[in-house]
Amino acid sequence: MKRNAIVIAVVVLVLVALGAAGWANWQNRKAAASHLAAENTQAVLVPASDVSAAHFSSPLVGKPAPGFTLTDLSGKKVSLASYKGKAVQLNFWATWCAPCKIETPWLIELEKQYAPQGFEILAVSFDDLHKDDPKLLAKDKEEIVKGAQYLKIGYPVLIDGDSISKAYGDVDVFPTSFFVDRKGTIVAASMGLTSKDELEGNIRKALGEGK
Amino acid sequence: MRLAHGLAHGLALGLALGLALVAAALVAAQAQDGGLLTQPAPPRKQAVTYLFPEQVTIAAGKPVPIELHFRVAAGLHINSHTPSTSDLIPTTLTLAEGSPVRFADQSFPRGDDFAFPVTPSEKLSVYTGDFTVRVELLAASAGEHLVEASLRYQACDNNACMPPHTVPVVFDVIAR
Repeated sequence: MKRNAIVIAVVVLVLVALGAAGWANWQNRKAAASHLAAENTQAVLVPASDVSAAHFSSPLVGKPAPGFTLTDLSGKKVSLASYKGKAVQLNFWATWCAPCKIETPWLIELEKQYAPQGFEILAVSFDDLHKDDPKLLAKDKEEIVKGAQYLKIGYPVLIDGDSISKAYGDVDVFPTSFFVDRKGTIVAASMGLTSKDELEGNIRKALGEGK
Repeated sequence: MRLAHGLAHGLALGLALGLALVAAALVAAQAQDGGLLTQPAPPRKQAVTYLFPEQVTIAAGKPVPIELHFRVAAGLHINSHTPSTSDLIPTTLTLAEGSPVRFADQSFPRGDDFAFPVTPSEKLSVYTGDFTVRVELLAASAGEHLVEASLRYQACDNNACMPPHTVPVVFDVIAR
């Protein structure tokens, strides 16, 4: 009788232990799956027939904007954290991107219009940089300066956008913009060329004026 | 002795039941994940595909014209070899270093006019659909050679652009 009780107790213990292991494994796999899903939320370029197709719902909307420190065209370090308290549009662009050139004059106008309310644009260049070759790197930077001057960009232009691409969902479609509110939360995002009105709507959202 | 025997028997039974439980948990997890763990990330759209030839036969020691055929994915365009402005990235074809053959000449097609819907007057020079690059292939010596080249391009659709990419262009050359 006593022997049977010991056997049953041991069996129950083993069953509980194995069940717990199975449960923990399931939980781990669930966590890994959601992590993988977050990593796979990359923007994918698809043929678009009209401007409205340019919008996308980024999983980063509603989340804190990933922090970064990049250098501007004068070599000064610029950190996103130093813009806390302001509404910021992170505009990912490249000198070879034709639609970026179309929206840039709109951005310049909107930046001037909303700057008094605490709005700033940070242009983040995704032009390739030959980091291993100082001569080529200087030439790369020169090309970006030339491109920014040609477009008459007055707001800061940061280089080496590729280094923060992963944090922003592996951006590889341009232009892409993230609109960050005064608390540092991403409140809207756009991929591809949108209209000036759409841009303005997102800026107002970042300023806390939009819907 | 009997106690040890019973314990071993019980443990074996427990182990079998436990394994069944773990397997059931894994199956449940897989079902709930919708197979996500085994699914690769969604593939990016490849803008340009090299179509053919896979093999050409040419005379050794003299330039021979051949045509290389490419396809731009529907809805996308790439800059032509001579884009409308110097800051746009042209489509170029480059042989790998140490190639057993060389391109004595390259001839790209003229680009088609393209304008983004919001700036209809600003024309770009682009390739869409199928296009052909004509090259003069020169194999210095007779024999079978593997040609490895790459086409560099920068693609956009009506609203957005992708960074420059290269597509491998690989074909066999039989030089006689």
